[in-house]
Amino acid sequence: MEGHQRNLYLYDRFNARVLGVSRDDVITLKYWAKGLDLTFPLLSNVTSFLGTYFQIQPEGRPIFGRRTVVIDKNGVIRYVRDGSPDFKDLLLFLKKLNQEGGQK
Amino acid sequence: MNRNILISLSGILVLVWLSGCATTQQTGPKPYKMSAQGMVVWEDEYEFAPPPLEWKLLVPEEGGDISFGFMRSDPGGFPSTSVFAYDEEPFGCSPGFEGREKEFFKRFLFNAIVKFEILGKENVKVVGGEGIAVTVEGKDPVKKEKVKAKVVFGKRGERVVGWYVTQWRPMEGAYDLSAFEAFDKFWKSFTFLKKSFYETL
Repeated sequence: MEGHQRNLYLYDRFNARVLGVSRDDVITLKYWAKGLDLTFPLLSNVTSFLGTYFQIQPEGRPIFGRRTVVIDKNGVIRYVRDGSPDFKDLLLFLKKLNQEGGQK
Repeated sequence: MNRNILISLSGILVLVWLSGCATTQQTGPKPYKMSAQGMVVWEDEYEFAPPPLEWKLLVPEEGGDISFGFMRSDPGGFPSTSVFAYDEEPFGCSPGFEGREKEFFKRFLFNAIVKFEILGKENVKVVGGEGIAVTVEGKDPVKKEKVKAKVVFGKRGERVVGWYVTQWRPMEGAYDLSAFEAFDKFWKSFTFLKKSFYETL
């Protein structure tokens, strides 16, 4: 999450917005955001429907798996990576996606 | 708004688990070479004066907290050790030094659970630009250990980078300033040989 916060100026440059989603409740997320000085939205999804939708809800576990997803402005999922974010790979993808958008 | 949306889904507890480790073991090709002027050229990206011979190279395992550094075992009882390092992504997010310093010390040596007292802060020149150097001391009265550290924040492009030295001692032990002298030589000699990845975007 800290890495996303450091990259906000680059996401903005590439016309991207970042959202974090977890199964934690809102109060927990507020403390989490405050502790890490995060300014982007963290979404609480305690019922886990997003985890099910994105297929990262391990059965019987109260947390999501880690997955980074990029959705383009048409609502199409363009990028999916599991595990810790590869920020360089992600930034290169967002740059390319933004260039594609500028050409259309 | 015509913006792409990036969603990061995570189990937040996992993030804490991901803090990295470092090792002095070396496998594969060396990440550095020596220049004709006797400087260390690290992965063709950084150049700096080599530390004295007693310092062992310290490289992070994947996902580590530092880019690379050097470690020295000091005489005296546990935990007498000195480490200095360069960190391309120091803890925190702020692009300014003041904000970054506050964020950094929330997480620095997090596992040790020591409360830091700031011993000194000064403006410095580092890698050709402005920076700040902060000297702190932390004590753990339960384990009867203490640590003295100096952290230098500088800029690489738009992003804050850091150099730091830590020296652990038993509570009654004396600090060895030669480690801090070696560290000062390290960061003062440091140069970037090319633009960072982020500067090329």
